[in-house]
Amino acid sequence: MNGTVASRDWPRPGVPLIDGIDKVTGHARFTADLDPCGALVGRIFRSPVSHGDIVRLDVSRARDLEGVVAVVTGDDCPRTYGVLPVAMNEHPLACGKVRYRGEPVAAVAAVDAETAERALALIELEMRELPAHYTADSARAAGAALVHDDRPGNLERAVHHVFGDPEAGFAAADLVREVRIDCAEVNHAQIEPHAALADYDPATGQLTMQSVSQVTFYLHMMLAHCLQMDESRIRVIKPFVGGGFGARVEVLNFEIVTALLARAAQGKVLMQLTREENFLTHRARPQTAIRLRLGMRRDGRMTACECEVVQRGGAYAGYGIVTILYAGALLHGLYAIPAVKYDGYRIYTNLPPCGAMRGHGGVNTRHAFEVLLDRMARELELDPFAVRRMNLLSAPTRTLNELLVNSYGLPECLDRVERASGWRERIGRLPRGRGIGMACSHYVSGAAKPIHRTGEPHAVVNLKLDWDGGVTALTGAPDIGQGSSTMIAITVAETLDLPLERIRVIAADSAITPKDNGAYSSRITFMVGNAAIDAAQRLKDILSEVAARKLGVRREDVYTAAGMFLARGSDATAVSFEEVAKAALVGEGTLTIKGTFTCPPESQGGKHKGGAVGATMGFSYVAQVVEASVDEDTGQVTVHQVWAAIDCGHAINPLAVTGQVEGAVWMGMGQALSEETCYLDGLPAHASLLEYRVPTIIESPPIDVQIVESHDPLGPFGAKEASEGALASFAPALVAAVANAIGIDLDELPATPDRVVEALIARRRRARLKSAQESAP
Amino acid sequence: MTAAAGAFRVVEPADVAAATAAHAGEPGSRYLGGGTDLLVNLRRGLGTPALLIDLRGIAELDGLACMAGGARIGAGVTLARIAADPEFRARYPALCEAAAAVAGPAHRNVATVAGNLCLDTRCIYYNQSEWWRGANAYCLKYRGDVCHVAPQGRHCHAAFCGDLAPALLVLGASIEVAGRAGRRRMPLAELYRDDGLAHLTLAADELLVAAELPADPPPSAYAKLRVRGSVDFPLAGVAVALRAEEGRLSILRVALTGTNSRPFLLDGTDNLLGRPLDATVLRHLDRLVQKQVHPMRTTLLQSNYRRVAAAALARHLAARLAATPEAAR
Amino acid sequence: MHQDQRPPSRKRLVRLCLNGRWREDAVPDHLLLVNYLRETVGLTGTKTGCDGGECGACMVLVDSVPMPACITLAVRCEGRSIETIEGLSSGGSLHRLQRAFHEQLGTQCGFCTPGMIMSAAALLRRNARPTDGEIREALAGNLCRCTGYVKIVESVRAAVDDAP
Repeated sequence: MNGTVASRDWPRPGVPLIDGIDKVTGHARFTADLDPCGALVGRIFRSPVSHGDIVRLDVSRARDLEGVVAVVTGDDCPRTYGVLPVAMNEHPLACGKVRYRGEPVAAVAAVDAETAERALALIELEMRELPAHYTADSARAAGAALVHDDRPGNLERAVHHVFGDPEAGFAAADLVREVRIDCAEVNHAQIEPHAALADYDPATGQLTMQSVSQVTFYLHMMLAHCLQMDESRIRVIKPFVGGGFGARVEVLNFEIVTALLARAAQGKVLMQLTREENFLTHRARPQTAIRLRLGMRRDGRMTACECEVVQRGGAYAGYGIVTILYAGALLHGLYAIPAVKYDGYRIYTNLPPCGAMRGHGGVNTRHAFEVLLDRMARELELDPFAVRRMNLLSAPTRTLNELLVNSYGLPECLDRVERASGWRERIGRLPRGRGIGMACSHYVSGAAKPIHRTGEPHAVVNLKLDWDGGVTALTGAPDIGQGSSTMIAITVAETLDLPLERIRVIAADSAITPKDNGAYSSRITFMVGNAAIDAAQRLKDILSEVAARKLGVRREDVYTAAGMFLARGSDATAVSFEEVAKAALVGEGTLTIKGTFTCPPESQGGKHKGGAVGATMGFSYVAQVVEASVDEDTGQVTVHQVWAAIDCGHAINPLAVTGQVEGAVWMGMGQALSEETCYLDGLPAHASLLEYRVPTIIESPPIDVQIVESHDPLGPFGAKEASEGALASFAPALVAAVANAIGIDLDELPATPDRVVEALIARRRRARLKSAQESAP
Repeated sequence: MTAAAGAFRVVEPADVAAATAAHAGEPGSRYLGGGTDLLVNLRRGLGTPALLIDLRGIAELDGLACMAGGARIGAGVTLARIAADPEFRARYPALCEAAAAVAGPAHRNVATVAGNLCLDTRCIYYNQSEWWRGANAYCLKYRGDVCHVAPQGRHCHAAFCGDLAPALLVLGASIEVAGRAGRRRMPLAELYRDDGLAHLTLAADELLVAAELPADPPPSAYAKLRVRGSVDFPLAGVAVALRAEEGRLSILRVALTGTNSRPFLLDGTDNLLGRPLDATVLRHLDRLVQKQVHPMRTTLLQSNYRRVAAAALARHLAARLAATPEAAR
Repeated sequence: MHQDQRPPSRKRLVRLCLNGRWREDAVPDHLLLVNYLRETVGLTGTKTGCDGGECGACMVLVDSVPMPACITLAVRCEGRSIETIEGLSSGGSLHRLQRAFHEQLGTQCGFCTPGMIMSAAALLRRNARPTDGEIREALAGNLCRCTGYVKIVESVRAAVDDAP
């Protein structure tokens, strides 16, 4: 692997990340590593209570402390912000009321950390406490205190969707079964803690913001909105970002607070959050209660699905409406189901706000669905693979809720993992305590309908070709470690038939790069990849014209290979890319080419309310098998091996695809086995990497990844997403493996040892009860 | 952001006498071993000592010797060193298994025997940031007057979570302690009391010098209950030492950590001596453990689970040891 | 000016050998090694990912032994050799672990990478041919959120196989 682009033929090893060397040498500058010269230290004063009215907030003693340069409060930003235009209900610093413990109330910029911390201790806050709700049930109960006055019943959004005829479907079923599944709240726990560096120049009125964002464009927009500044006076730059997984797909309060402090201090402020503050900022997958019912014929064909989902959303809207819509929309698109009824409820509570996390909205309902499918298969004595195969879609098709499915590699994914795991030889033949389970999942390749409908293309990439013969790709798409800049370099290099080294990518600097909506919903490969190919193709067209002139042949007869322009039929005539590039600049100067991509209207979803959520150009498909064992005394579940096959359409960079799938499978394992948040009266007891148990290398299994290429007709080189889809099938496959190992059906995630032991004790109790009843006269 | 650990000074005494003298000069000071527990706690605002007394340069604390008459383990010996010592692994496997199970590998490179034996007790209401504890009106263990685990009582339920202590207890360890008043020896068990607020019987100026183990130890083993394979503190930890003569138990010692405010030797195992280690004895053992552990809601995992699983670990270890040829003679 | 009002110095001189070069800095006793490296010296390859000792992102070698710099006091490094990720490559060429982590995608976002590589470097120094189990054991205190550790094990394995 020396950086040259491998051929399109399979197998291709793929290429290392184009910014990988900076990461392994420690040269990569993350936000906290930026030049701190002259920067003040920012710190946030947070609410000690869960719910209450601010009676008095006095920051005068903090402001008077020697070394304190600025103190800001809610008064400094009366405007609300939020990622969804219909639900911008959050203040960066509380105004009048706080709704969760840890909500920012004031902030300080001081000459050093000690001074800033001393200043926080001098802030006086007097609250009138209100009743607080920490569960969805309590928040929905009659007479519950309202988290937001305009949301009766603390209902952020209810969704009621019916497609097909569920009643008829259930009537036609041979077996109807229901599960109630509870999935604990989890957190992204990206290893880089949140940080922001804001630099305000009072002389020019310019603000430069560097932050850990996955959505630099939204950050730009919200800074302008909250600080009431002209957008053109703001520059947002993304340094290296240490993972996101959705934590940073909406603008976060500390980012705006840092900018407010910089403007108040008329200078530069560096804000670094503690790990605890990262957990308080949260925005991750909500605790979810699911009731799911399926109808099935004896042969395994599904006849109907009915699903009710309640999400404990936390104190502010964030992405909540989208999350509750995704939870229903993604019941579709994986299997053919003739009727689906969905009722979703997103509830406000007095806890840190939830948001988007890898597999946004779909993970927990997919878990419940696959778990039930497995149990019904067992009851009907059907093989779980066979049940999936009875319910396959056939592409191209549109789902009941009008999602576009142009490519569908799930059948091959099933075949691959079935074979690789030795399923047929091993199922039912493992010793007690050891089991295998399987499940499927899918995910969107970018939300086809953007949040802000501006009429602009969904993605723009600029290419610059200059006298040095180098091609610079300018993109607003934030590389956060997922390898999007590498993907762009590869698509450009492959289109132009150039070695990868000739491509440079500059990402996410609003002064230089075109606007991009950001790194979320796995949109970059599909949308930005297509825009990059479009730009490269346009550049290639221009250069081919020039090459034709130089070669003295017709434009149609020019083709490229390995950095050369050649004339068809006369292989002896060739001219190098460098020569063509120089010639192209004559009379023109530096070439700047723009490529765009717009999602076709048919991909943008149904007309029903909320129909845009889930709509995408194509879905990734995943099947996976998990092998695990269970210690029945300690409840310890050990995962021995995972086999996952993903249909990502086409692997632009197979190395990165396997890396993403491994990471997604493993993150699913964290949610399935050990990760959960736990609040004690609204205080996060889990707010460290000791109590929030991200798996270590010790319990992390080998993961066999197989790539299936279904060649999506709209995808860049046929590609679809590869980063999120594999997460959701881990947990149900694990729960199926546990059932296979010890005959216990777990209804809660994560499957921590205490839950496993509890389930075993309950089974023994049931058995005792049963035998007592039987022996009774 | 990396929170500061406070504004303490550090002194590096050359010997034990100088260390205790330094303590006398600054009564609120703390002895610093590896720092893997103390510095984390100080960063969370748990304590504000003006002085840390760095014991690492004291040669006397650094000895590790396995002799015919027993073993002596300097208080400053690192866990990594003891875990890797071939003689200790052969003679005192429970100790080495316990040392190897502590935290992560880098912690074990600096963490010391004394640090693990004198580990502060832990609780989800205590091991939190200053903001967190302040928002919760603090707790009985530090700056507050309510134990949030059992608000009715006047007792702190923070759990002792050191891994080494149960291993040393079943191996019959005694310790040597030094203070301004001189040196004393005592059985390890006497180092502890069942009070999360003050679980050590040491005077403020006293420090551990060494632990000593008798020769000819019975076969021993340690098992740790935790969610992850590394990093985690024990939800429960069990050490067992066992010997059988002609198929009948002649020694059975079981000690536990992670469940109570002190590590302790299980009472009542003597009643099982003279019997073969069969299902009945194992059931008795299970019952003894379940009766004597008192896990409270000091961890995020259920306390009943810790009780049941601790007993299961004890059974497993006993059965496993009994099946080894070394246990029989 | 105001010499009589100057507060007494709370710092002491610490001499240590950082990435092969001796240096001397005035530091307060309570300064953590991670802050010394990042703020006093300006080497930011050593990262902070947690609130103390939980994640391994700050792993450095002290006399060749990996230690979390966030729970190590700078003054305790007096006279010792400290190695950080910045000192690992020499003469313009990557250390074999760095090359392997790059080529095998042992790094994704890159934030845990310096600490991970330092733990692995210490392992290879004391054990030239570790088994996969020994690799896992040596990295058990370094959390990664991107890779699932699969390619991390493969990277270390590749570096072992690449040994001169």
